[in-house]
Amino acid sequence: MIAFITGIGRFGLFLGAFARASWRRPPPPGMVMAEAYRIGVKSLPVLLIISAFVGTNLALQGYNAFAPLGGSRLVGMFVSTAGIREMAPVIAAAMIAAKAGTEMASHIAVMRIREQIDALEAMAVNPMWYLILPRLAGIVLVLPALTIVAIFATLCSAYLVTIWQLGLNGAVFLEFAREGIQGVDFLYCMTKGLVFGIIIALVACFFGFEAGRGPEGVGKATNGAVVTVSVVVVFLNYFMSELFYG
Amino acid sequence: MVATLELMGRIGIFAARVAWATVTLRVPLRSFLAQLDTVIMRCMLPVIAVVFPFGMVMSLQGLEIFAMYGSQRLLSPFVAAAIIRELSPVMASTLVAAQGGASFAAELGAMRIKEELDATDVMGVDSLAFHAAPRVLALTIACPVLNLMGCVSGIVGGWITAVLMKGEAHGIFMAELWNLTGPADVWGTVIKTTVFGALIGVVGCYLGYHTRGGAAGVGRAVNDTVVYTILIFIAANYLLTSAFFGSVG
Repeated sequence: MIAFITGIGRFGLFLGAFARASWRRPPPPGMVMAEAYRIGVKSLPVLLIISAFVGTNLALQGYNAFAPLGGSRLVGMFVSTAGIREMAPVIAAAMIAAKAGTEMASHIAVMRIREQIDALEAMAVNPMWYLILPRLAGIVLVLPALTIVAIFATLCSAYLVTIWQLGLNGAVFLEFAREGIQGVDFLYCMTKGLVFGIIIALVACFFGFEAGRGPEGVGKATNGAVVTVSVVVVFLNYFMSELFYG
Repeated sequence: MVATLELMGRIGIFAARVAWATVTLRVPLRSFLAQLDTVIMRCMLPVIAVVFPFGMVMSLQGLEIFAMYGSQRLLSPFVAAAIIRELSPVMASTLVAAQGGASFAAELGAMRIKEELDATDVMGVDSLAFHAAPRVLALTIACPVLNLMGCVSGIVGGWITAVLMKGEAHGIFMAELWNLTGPADVWGTVIKTTVFGALIGVVGCYLGYHTRGGAAGVGRAVNDTVVYTILIFIAANYLLTSAFFGSVG
């Protein structure tokens, strides 16, 4: 418990130091795009596969939940409401945390235990500005877009399952799917993606910076980053949903 | 492509060796129980902390759909079915992969890098049966247990949103709760998460056991464990869901 509170305090100090280091400086040139590529494009296959399977299961479970009530037409509405408003942003954030967030944490942790971060400081380069700001800017650039991609993959796979595996009418699915959401939902989704991106980058980099000595330190940092991010993302998702839809 | 196939084959052999060590009773019981305790204590809080708000969100969104048709009484069976059949298995297993599987990969990876595993082998003790197998078995048993905790916390979360925050009637919520879920669903969720737990254990422990390349290798093993295990069990989830529930259509 004490360790938890200490951790929050250290995270606050970390945020302060990071803000002081980079609040009026542009990120190191060229690195934002490199990070955006590494986070966005490298995570895309994993994200597409996961979102597709989330869509298939939403369709199957939606059908199972609603068919006994005589509302198999509601599958489309269920998929679009649950998929777009909740599942796609959370799944996209969880997958980017698992793929890119762990990579950030382990990369920075390895730099820490190899004393490369101290070397940066010795060269009068602020490591927080040099290492964190490009990652933060990169993930903020790509995560809203990745959320939209996740929505697309979820809906496509749900549609295919609905017409092929469940044998329902595709046009009815699309009509009810359209009824379940409004254009503003996409905006909410991208807002969620933006906030989750900031959380992922800051928390993962924090765990990397705080890594302990030796190989266990790297493992623990990577592990702690992904778990903390998942829990924080799901909690924030609830509060943002309550704010947008409650 | 060939590399992927090779990796799958190696993981298969690793799983077979773990299974053989279990069948021939070479897995130390005390170590297995200690790992089981570790993984449940480590994952309990994250699992509850993730499934609980998800139950609240399901309730929030479900109410909106059902209110359109004036049928709020359908909310609680819907929340219970969604959480027990799908959400809790997937979210709990994701967290077990991120916390339990990854931390086991990190431990085994660090042991490999520090040559502790080689030392065990040199002493004539099979390091796979002694260090890796208890962890695989612990994850296999822990995953369904944690999933059941997740189910309970998710339904409690749904109840809090519906009854305490949105003012639905408590009696209706409780009376309708089990209308869609039966014993088959509970068996389904337990079997599903046992399979997921075994997949997480085998893949995570394989990647940790075969770590190479110093401290960076440990980081990579943890990273790969999280990504691969989530990919594999989400795909397995679709197949299992189709097997259990897909035949209705």
